[in-house]
Amino acid sequence: MVKKIILPLLILSLLCTSAWAAEVVKIGSLNDVTGATSDVGKDMALGIREAVAYVNDTGGINEKKIKLFQYDYGYRVPEAITTYKRFRDYDKVVMVLGWGTGDTEALSPTINRDKMPYLSCSFSGHLCDPKKTPYNFVYGTDYSTNARAAITAWYEEIWMKSPKWKKAKESGRKPRFVCSYAFASPYASAPIKAIKDQAKLLGFEIGPDQDVSLTALDAKSQVLGAKAFKPDLMWHGNTTMSVSTTIKDAYMLGLGADHIINNWGFDQNLVRLTAEAGEGVIGAAACAFYGMDVPYMDKVVEYTKKINPGVAQEVRDIRTVQAWVKVQMAVDAMKIADKKGQLNGPGILSAFETFRDWSPFNTPGALGRPPVTYTKTDHRPSAVSMIYIIKGGKITLLKKIDMRAKYADKWMSWLGW
Amino acid sequence: MGYLPCGIYHEYYKQDHAWWQTRFVYVKMVLLVLVLILFPYLVSPMWLSVAYTISYYILACMGVQLLIGYCGQITLGHAAFVAVGAYTSAMMVLFIPWPKLIVDWGLAYPISMIAAGIAAGMWSVLFGLPSARVKGFYLIMTTMAAQWITVPFIITQYVSRIGGRGHYFSLPPGTVKLGPWVIDSDVKVYYLSAALVVLLTLVMANLLRSKVGRAWIAIRDNDIAAETLGVNIVWYKLVAFFVAGFFAGIAGSFYVTALYFVSPEHYEWFFSLMWVGVILIGGVGSLHGTIFGSMFVVLVFKFLEMTIIPMTDMFPWFAMKLIYIKESAFGLAVVLFLLYEPNGLSYRYWQLKNYFNLWPFSY
Repeated sequence: MVKKIILPLLILSLLCTSAWAAEVVKIGSLNDVTGATSDVGKDMALGIREAVAYVNDTGGINEKKIKLFQYDYGYRVPEAITTYKRFRDYDKVVMVLGWGTGDTEALSPTINRDKMPYLSCSFSGHLCDPKKTPYNFVYGTDYSTNARAAITAWYEEIWMKSPKWKKAKESGRKPRFVCSYAFASPYASAPIKAIKDQAKLLGFEIGPDQDVSLTALDAKSQVLGAKAFKPDLMWHGNTTMSVSTTIKDAYMLGLGADHIINNWGFDQNLVRLTAEAGEGVIGAAACAFYGMDVPYMDKVVEYTKKINPGVAQEVRDIRTVQAWVKVQMAVDAMKIADKKGQLNGPGILSAFETFRDWSPFNTPGALGRPPVTYTKTDHRPSAVSMIYIIKGGKITLLKKIDMRAKYADKWMSWLGW
Repeated sequence: MGYLPCGIYHEYYKQDHAWWQTRFVYVKMVLLVLVLILFPYLVSPMWLSVAYTISYYILACMGVQLLIGYCGQITLGHAAFVAVGAYTSAMMVLFIPWPKLIVDWGLAYPISMIAAGIAAGMWSVLFGLPSARVKGFYLIMTTMAAQWITVPFIITQYVSRIGGRGHYFSLPPGTVKLGPWVIDSDVKVYYLSAALVVLLTLVMANLLRSKVGRAWIAIRDNDIAAETLGVNIVWYKLVAFFVAGFFAGIAGSFYVTALYFVSPEHYEWFFSLMWVGVILIGGVGSLHGTIFGSMFVVLVFKFLEMTIIPMTDMFPWFAMKLIYIKESAFGLAVVLFLLYEPNGLSYRYWQLKNYFNLWPFSY
């Protein structure tokens, strides 16, 4: 067995490490393809590798190729810590593409001490205050802004306009609102304070929170718990599998409420999993959905077929597109830093903070990502949230909301939560 | 060959249980301490985080080993006691208005660590109470209840919400201080972990050669016979739960220094299961087993990572398809050990040691 399997593996790994003698830019990527968030993590992991392949095929970082160190940490924080330290000390990466809120916030004190730029898939508002976490960056509109935007969009577009709520509205009662999320998950709990604040601002009545696990296969008791409050609207803070379970149970038990969902629970998989129960469900999204007609989507599709031909097109999702936005953002920051001869932590940090209305590929509207701006005092990438709705089994844009324009007096006070 | 124990015979139990039975053992231990001290200078910094993760597992598994390996009380909820320790320590450091003298002298964290041990010990006793009436599978259920009641319910729903931060606590840099040293680098975390492992291993080894330890082993071997001999089995079982919980509390408090962050997600049931797996791999009823098992589990994941990451460049499908090997490796290791080496790695170590001890007359 030693001769047949282990020896060839060791030789191959040695070959792989020595094959990269040319000048390269090393980046690390922590992914979850086997853990609690693997329902959305697998597509992201595929997308990262495809996006990096595209960058390397089109000139890399100022002609330097990217060497990607990608690893699954199974959503286990101790493994995220040791893998990050491998990236830092052994692979000597210049920046890290991170994953969940739990590990990003757990690593935050360390990466800020190490001056390691960390662009995560967690859009937690807690990571957006440069006074506390200068080296943390998020590439999508933060969860808190998304949550505020989603509840506002529902209030303005559905509660105020839909015949479903006409009677309730005319009776003069307030909309009733509950939150369903995994209390223990930093990701799911991150925007709760913000969305409740927004609900109060809009005059909602707030019911008891319901604790639904990220890996829930049944949420009937939570739905029944919420039903006692007779909610009109339910916020879902988990990822797709768990959210679809709750929505199906709500449909089965006749909850009667509308649903709004955070971005990691809203995708084409949700449409497939919920079928008629998902009709009218509203959710936030960081960029365009896979296959939508936006600039550069053709490149995304081309590279999914080129790099991972074995993965069926039907199962590809918005997570692939998000991966491209993430990689493009990291690449553009590294290009700026490299041109200044500062391809290091502080150099990349400064480069990010020069972003003003940034779009992928310098093309407004590319991949459906609203423009991104980072400043030295505010790392929230955007005040614009894209709120979508499922209609006739298709995801369509419900409203594009600029929360800064809408709440100019409050916008700065929302920083960091 | 005078330094080898071959041919040394003990006449008294005292000699049999002595720490330093021969000069060779003395030299071996001094060398071990030297290696632990010099370790950060011998390896790349990456290995420090691996080393203190191993230490964390050792500290956490020490209590599991005590309960299962020495007292025969099966536990499947040990992550709950580690969580109690971590939260006690983090909250004491964060929320108690410590007098300036205590802060200046760096005593807040050490005090919180001892309090964490005591709190986790008491919590463990609470869930150990059913052991007075039930054993075997039924005791497994009560310890599992400890996990579900503690982490997803009490900590997540109530404790985590204190302070309005959300569902987790983040400690500001510099708040974890041990005397004059601020624990703010991997080297310091490593030294703290190594010191705790050495200290708690000594405590555990001493306990095991005392009256208490003998009572635990008697209960494990046959509780009815032990009771007939006059051992107060309920008392000693509860002492075992307290000590196991105390070690878990210290482990939880220690890991706060590595992360400066505490979240209920860090103490999921998976860890309770894994720590039982660690002692199955290392060897049930052996202190060495706790250490070998922890090293095995952390290093297997590390070596898989070291193999898979470089290969994904040339074979991208590695990252997505063969990654499941990593997830299966732990389960497979437990199954293989149960089938082919039920006594665990410590038995292999014992065989190896004996071979050299008896050399050249090992037959």
